[in-house]
Amino acid sequence: MEKELRLMKGNEAVAEAAIRAGVDGYFGYPITPQTEIIEYLFEANPAETTGMVVLQAESEVAAINMVYGGAGCGKKVMTSSSSPGISLKQEGISYIAGAELPCLIVNVVRGGPGLGTIQPAQSDYFQSTKGGGHGDYHLIVLAPASVQEMADFVGLSFELAFKYRNPVMMLSDGAIGQMMEKVYLSPHVERSKTVPEWATSGKPKSRQRNIITSLDLDSNRQELFNRKLLAKYDEIREKEVRFEEFQCEDAEYILVAYGTSARVCQKSVQLAREQGIKAGLLRPITLFPFPTKRINELAGKVKGMLSVEMSSGQMVEDVMLAVNGKVPVYHFGRMGGIVTTPEEVVENLKFKFIKD
Amino acid sequence: MAKIRGSIVVNVEKCKGCEVCMVSCPTGTIAMAKEVNGKGYNYAFPANPELCIGCANCAMVCPDGVITVYKTKI
Repeated sequence: MEKELRLMKGNEAVAEAAIRAGVDGYFGYPITPQTEIIEYLFEANPAETTGMVVLQAESEVAAINMVYGGAGCGKKVMTSSSSPGISLKQEGISYIAGAELPCLIVNVVRGGPGLGTIQPAQSDYFQSTKGGGHGDYHLIVLAPASVQEMADFVGLSFELAFKYRNPVMMLSDGAIGQMMEKVYLSPHVERSKTVPEWATSGKPKSRQRNIITSLDLDSNRQELFNRKLLAKYDEIREKEVRFEEFQCEDAEYILVAYGTSARVCQKSVQLAREQGIKAGLLRPITLFPFPTKRINELAGKVKGMLSVEMSSGQMVEDVMLAVNGKVPVYHFGRMGGIVTTPEEVVENLKFKFIKD
Repeated sequence: MAKIRGSIVVNVEKCKGCEVCMVSCPTGTIAMAKEVNGKGYNYAFPANPELCIGCANCAMVCPDGVITVYKTKI
């Protein structure tokens, strides 16, 4: 079937893609800059077409626990929020990771800490990739850099979530969520009528009772479970790394950036090359698993790397670990909701590496 | 040639305060409000309505189509 072309906001694209991907339920709570997701879903009213449940919970905490319940029943469920709301959801996210359940959490990041601003930022990198909630767990983190990717990653997220029984976070930001772009929408997929065998969907005589919990009072068993999780994360690190390279073949300096920053850096690479600086861009698409191996390979061929983020320096730590001392790594970023300009990035690249 | 006067109406609740219209206005009619809308964005408003020439640049560049332009001959 032909893909449908539409002009949409990033947030609206996520909502429409969710309906088309056959999602069973959305539970959310409005917060700028992601309110359009829930607005769009209510207006589209998919309960009458696909049967998808759309519900505005009384709070973010309620929404994430509804997702926990829905995921426990083996359904495709999702929620979305922006930074302060995601902080409220962290307890539930840790429980969902602990119970090994699939779900999608969309984070349209805004400037922080605290209530912060409502403009785009990338300051939730640590929270998303290193844990956020308590306990030894990781989310699979996808970072879209366009409205098209925001739509495409909905289907991909559920594919990965169910494959590994792990929650997936889509780490977007206020710019991509609010940006209008053309987007090719995938055709409708029917909602699944069956549920996985681990789902708590009633006990037939043929099998034991399914129990969904993240509690174990026996430390030995809990450690075994932690090892199982670790093995799963190692498998994800091995198989699911996604990234994109832009003019890295002959680059002397590499910019590492994701999401909105990566779009800015594409222009920076062009500007730098006009000035005779051989720059390249590596854009991680998955932030967990991070493209550590590829960055390490590239580090052997270049003179330095610059991590460009809309934060005070978070991903730069992962870049440093990947580079492992081979070449200097610096960070450049604007904060609090300000998007860096391509010229600023080039100036900074020159200032930090070339210095004359 | 008849002189044309314009006037703009902004759908305040749909405005996301991207400021593209403000930059595109050749006469400095549009500014961003100090107040915010329901979502918290400083919305665009005609700060100098008498300067509007009805060129519709603002409506053309607005990514969310929140500006309506009216023109009259005087």
